[in-house]
Amino acid sequence: MASKVHQITVWARGVVQDKEGRDIANGLANAAEKDGKFTQAFDNYVDLPDRVNVPLRKYARISDEEIEERYEYENEKPEIVIVADATIVKGINILRGMEKGGTLVVATDRKPEDILKFIPNRDLLNTIVCVDAKAICGEQTVDFSGSEGGVDSLGIGQGISAPILGALARGTNLVKLDNLAAVVKNQEALRKGHEQAVVKTLN
Amino acid sequence: MFNIPKGKEVPLGCVTPAPVTEQPMMMTGNWREYRPVLEPEKCDLCMNCVVFCPDACFQLDEAEEKVVLNEKYCKGCNICINECATDALTAAYELDFEDGVVRLEKPF
Amino acid sequence: MAKEMMLSGCAASAQAARMAQVEVICSYPIRPYTAIMMELAKMVANGELDAEFVHGEGEHAQLSVVLGAAAAGARALTGSSGVGVTYAFETYSPIAGGRIPLQMMIADRALDPPGDFGSEHTDAMSCRDQGWLMGWAENPQEAFDNCLINYRVGEDHRVLLPQFVCQDGYFVSHIPGKVALPDQSQVDEFLPPYDLPHPLDPKRPVSHGPQIRPDQGTVMDLQRAQAMLDTPAVIKEAIDDFNRIFGRNYSPFVEEYMTDDAEIAFFIMGAHTMTARHAVKHLRDQGVKIGLVKLRFVRPWPTQEVAEALSKFKAVGVVETSTSYGGAMRGGNLLHEVRASLYELPQRPVTTSFMAGLGGEMVSLKDFYYMADILSKAVKDGKTRKTVYWVGFEAEE
Repeated sequence: MASKVHQITVWARGVVQDKEGRDIANGLANAAEKDGKFTQAFDNYVDLPDRVNVPLRKYARISDEEIEERYEYENEKPEIVIVADATIVKGINILRGMEKGGTLVVATDRKPEDILKFIPNRDLLNTIVCVDAKAICGEQTVDFSGSEGGVDSLGIGQGISAPILGALARGTNLVKLDNLAAVVKNQEALRKGHEQAVVKTLN
Repeated sequence: MFNIPKGKEVPLGCVTPAPVTEQPMMMTGNWREYRPVLEPEKCDLCMNCVVFCPDACFQLDEAEEKVVLNEKYCKGCNICINECATDALTAAYELDFEDGVVRLEKPF
Repeated sequence: MAKEMMLSGCAASAQAARMAQVEVICSYPIRPYTAIMMELAKMVANGELDAEFVHGEGEHAQLSVVLGAAAAGARALTGSSGVGVTYAFETYSPIAGGRIPLQMMIADRALDPPGDFGSEHTDAMSCRDQGWLMGWAENPQEAFDNCLINYRVGEDHRVLLPQFVCQDGYFVSHIPGKVALPDQSQVDEFLPPYDLPHPLDPKRPVSHGPQIRPDQGTVMDLQRAQAMLDTPAVIKEAIDDFNRIFGRNYSPFVEEYMTDDAEIAFFIMGAHTMTARHAVKHLRDQGVKIGLVKLRFVRPWPTQEVAEALSKFKAVGVVETSTSYGGAMRGGNLLHEVRASLYELPQRPVTTSFMAGLGGEMVSLKDFYYMADILSKAVKDGKTRKTVYWVGFEAEE
């Protein structure tokens, strides 16, 4: 049997956060690769076509061995869910398929309790991390670079993806801050996201 | 004969029922970050919001003499706020409200 | 020397086209192949590639534009997916019959109805009778390599046929994989400049595509038939050169995996080959004598090589991701050609078709175990219960 494939799902808003969402998935996959892991990072093909503000998903997978079923369209059992726009938690069951003990990372200026009250199945979570990505970084890059299976020419993590990745490193061991620093462009935002993230452990 | 597993059925020729007033298979309320909030005292029933909404989310309630927002489908584009003749509509952050969004299991 | 990058199939194909120094590109967007044109547009815009980039007004226009360009003496490239491929259908015969060796990159997509972006081979397979070369890539590295190999074979004066270079939409075109990018000097050594013997040239005026009488019709068709008979030798030469120059280890027509003492085997092409290899390895660990044969070229169909490769098994499962409604087996396309290849053998394996991955559905390891189970039973029974299994949609075996 192949080793466990850790699934990470990133939720973002269509078109306006398409690039930042992809940067989060690519950033954490590239960082995990530096640790010698086998990774996949890809857009959700099933959500296409992209429309402004539609809730969309990007996926990443990390494993100690080669990932054998590469063509699964979606992450059915996410261990970590990252939400780049907080309002998404209200309208979709973002923790669908998560097994008990998962992690949620949300880009928001609200407190963890204010986010959790919108999530009826919050007892699936072990950890919630909140980071005010917009305040740290101000902007999200709106660009089609790297979409549709193309090559990204702008680099990973110029905008809000950087502090979100920094906050992610506080909530999990799967990616380390040093490896993220090697792949992310906006180093300052990455470190600030790491420091300013609010981490709350549940049960 | 083939055995179609449950949940994978598709109607003949993929011909699906068309929506008449609402499309319950495509509820887009969870697309919005900001919702339009009405101050009825300021409204003069010019009907700009009803006419301009791309998703026809405003309806005139004739009995109450008020325009009512269909929160299930409002995508938060803010066109109504922009077009309101009397500034009766303002944008409010969606997380300031407990409900008003149908929670979906999957995007579609 | 080679530079290794993680590239999607689309990005890899674009890199190959750049290194092949294509001169005219005609684009029209359709998911999933569209990123190939996006990448080429970037390269042309920032000067990495010196080519004419033309926006077609539709897929039919795309093929017409590159036909004109290639006939005038330029190495031309276009591409499409799904219904785009069938929209240009009228142009395929004139291009092949006119012996214009342009290349079309197809990232497969299921045909309408309704709208489905998932990969299915039917779009390209519907065009297989026109006289084009056709073959599938298993991963982004092969998507890169096949572009160069097909230009080399297609433009050879013994062949002079256009090429469909196909890859599964999304599975190969969008998911990144390791690609070793060679030096330009290696590509130049492998691929000579474009040299059409009968170009449209004011200095030597010619007419392309005049009217003929019916009694000249067969002779026209015989030209393409002869070309297809001569192509396999050219493919073998090209692959030998390719392996030597780029350090790869391709076998020209079929590749075998764990077939040494195998009793049953999968016959497969395209993206799902990767998953099938893992399935074969796991089944071998459990003692099942199973192997895998991968097909690299659908046209010209390597009849001899397929017969030789498959003759050693007792049961073969042909994994198909395309449809041939109403065909002799009421299933896909490959089984007909496999059975025809095996017809002359004194001893033939039991052959069955497995319709899997249609519409872009994922084919899991469990699906391959299900198929292997049926094949193992066939070895005992000497036959299968059905000739065509639609994997996942059959009642219990």
